[in-house]
Amino acid sequence: MAGQSDPHQSLFSAEEVEFIAEDETVEIIPNLRMDALNFICGDFGPFFPQIATQVPLWLAVALKKRGKCTIRPPQWMSVEKLTQVLEAERDSQRMFEQLPFHYVEISRLLFDHARDDIPDVYMARSLIEDIRDVRFHKVETNLETLTERAFALKINNLSAMEVNIVRPFVGRALQAFYKHDSLELIPDQERVSDRRPQVANNATRRHLRR
Amino acid sequence: MTSESASTPGIDGDYEALISTTDVELLKRAWRNEKAAPEILHFESALIQRIRGQIQLMEETVEEFSGSGIDPLSVSLYQMDLDRTQYLLRSYLRIRLQKIEKYTFHISNNSEVQSRLSGQEKGFARRCNEDLERHLEESVLSKLPDNYRDILKQSLISEENDMVPEPHLDTFVVCKSRRFLGPFQLDGSDELLEMKPDDLCIIHYKSIRERVQEGEIDLV
Amino acid sequence: MAKFYDMDDIITDEEVVSVVFEKAACGVGIDPSSETDSVEVGSKVELPFWLAHELQLRQAVSMNVPTCFNQKTRLEIQADSACVDLRSRCPFFYEFGCKIAPLVGVRTIGPLLLSAFKSRYKEVLTKAHTAAFPAASKHLTILTKEETNLYEAAQSSMTAFKRWRMGGPRFQRASVLGRKRKSTD
Repeated sequence: MAGQSDPHQSLFSAEEVEFIAEDETVEIIPNLRMDALNFICGDFGPFFPQIATQVPLWLAVALKKRGKCTIRPPQWMSVEKLTQVLEAERDSQRMFEQLPFHYVEISRLLFDHARDDIPDVYMARSLIEDIRDVRFHKVETNLETLTERAFALKINNLSAMEVNIVRPFVGRALQAFYKHDSLELIPDQERVSDRRPQVANNATRRHLRR
Repeated sequence: MTSESASTPGIDGDYEALISTTDVELLKRAWRNEKAAPEILHFESALIQRIRGQIQLMEETVEEFSGSGIDPLSVSLYQMDLDRTQYLLRSYLRIRLQKIEKYTFHISNNSEVQSRLSGQEKGFARRCNEDLERHLEESVLSKLPDNYRDILKQSLISEENDMVPEPHLDTFVVCKSRRFLGPFQLDGSDELLEMKPDDLCIIHYKSIRERVQEGEIDLV
Repeated sequence: MAKFYDMDDIITDEEVVSVVFEKAACGVGIDPSSETDSVEVGSKVELPFWLAHELQLRQAVSMNVPTCFNQKTRLEIQADSACVDLRSRCPFFYEFGCKIAPLVGVRTIGPLLLSAFKSRYKEVLTKAHTAAFPAASKHLTILTKEETNLYEAAQSSMTAFKRWRMGGPRFQRASVLGRKRKSTD
């Protein structure tokens, strides 16, 4: 009933972010013959042994769990590619290498359910962890540089899970900056004349990352 | 997938997006927007009606399959697809009910907001309002002096309804642009913002609320 | 008005302000030093903010700058903002500051709030994401309500993420991982 916002409210739980990621497509190689599946979310198959086909991740995992397919890990999950990404992430202060928006969730699902399909699974896994750590550290560093009122903050290349982790904090912090760096805090009698220039000076749009 | 445009004004002219987007995708988008928006959005009536139809059809199909010797694997996969869609639909409807409960008085005193609700939701809002009113009446208001018995106003001399919690439209939200958006003005400032497709941005909800409604920007 | 039922906002209104009466008031027992039920012009009295505000609107009193926004606090914040115990001074330091700044005619309160928040928020962020619980809990005692909310927002989303990442077989490890806080999900 109260109009206040709940500080603990996280809009999407990690599980919900994962749910969203489960609709990303992945390539599988079935080992069974099965008619096409005409789902509400789309049509997949028909499935033939040894013939690769594209399906949503949730379907791939379901088939994999029942031993009905192998999953072809996406290109970006190769050790070679991940090593490159990690190096690039380490080398640059601001630029973030492109990984899929759902790389955290996709990789976790595949590590959990299709480890035998991933070459060098331990290496790949630790690379992903490292990449995530480096990236998150950068996000934190960038957040620490926030110093003033911002109306909008571009956060391009932040992944879905990273967004979800920082959202509750950043939202509140921006709100606080917005409030404290505000015109209304200038005493009444001085406010009118100061109004325009204040807006122009304070309202810089910042780029968290470029 | 021919009646897509009815519930999604935003992608009206966008034929590419239109033919490649399933109703489940649209529902997922509506669900995320609804979850992330501080206020209640327009009920996606056409979309929800289609989804309900598809769910019902699928339920019948699954039942038919299980009785007719189709392999159990396929049946369980169809069931999973059904479960996922139902989850989205239920969650979407629930978030809306939660918002209605939270902003009952605001909604019942604002016809524009009411117009965003479905028929059933309007009924729910009305009953919420009645229950809450009766409860406050019986537990508090009837025991106060005459001047302080209003449910929306602190006292008779209040000029406006000053006891009505409203959604905070200046909440910062995370959003993703679906298309190129030429420079547009941010609420409360002279600043202009330009967004390229897939640009991710944290921004005041009120600066983009029309664009969310138009389907140009998604909340994530 | 959207804040009518906001508990924190209500409590903030209870913060005490010292005021000087500019009109005499009879029949009110709000000046503890007075022998009678009246207040002389020029009396200095401590009042809750909501009352002080109403009286100031009627030009009956003028508000003084509360101690938590005075020169001394400002200097302390400038010196080592992250370590200043703001909670003991005013748990609603920022909210109260926002309310009172336009009323006391002191330009420095706004910048003070901003600079305090700016430097302290970094500390909150780092502590929330990295520090072990005991180390952080000491730091927590000096934070204002808003800073605590921020800390908890950062901390709980990080914890939720870690729980998800460690999850392995779903719905099984929670009892081990969730020991520290009561599971609310």
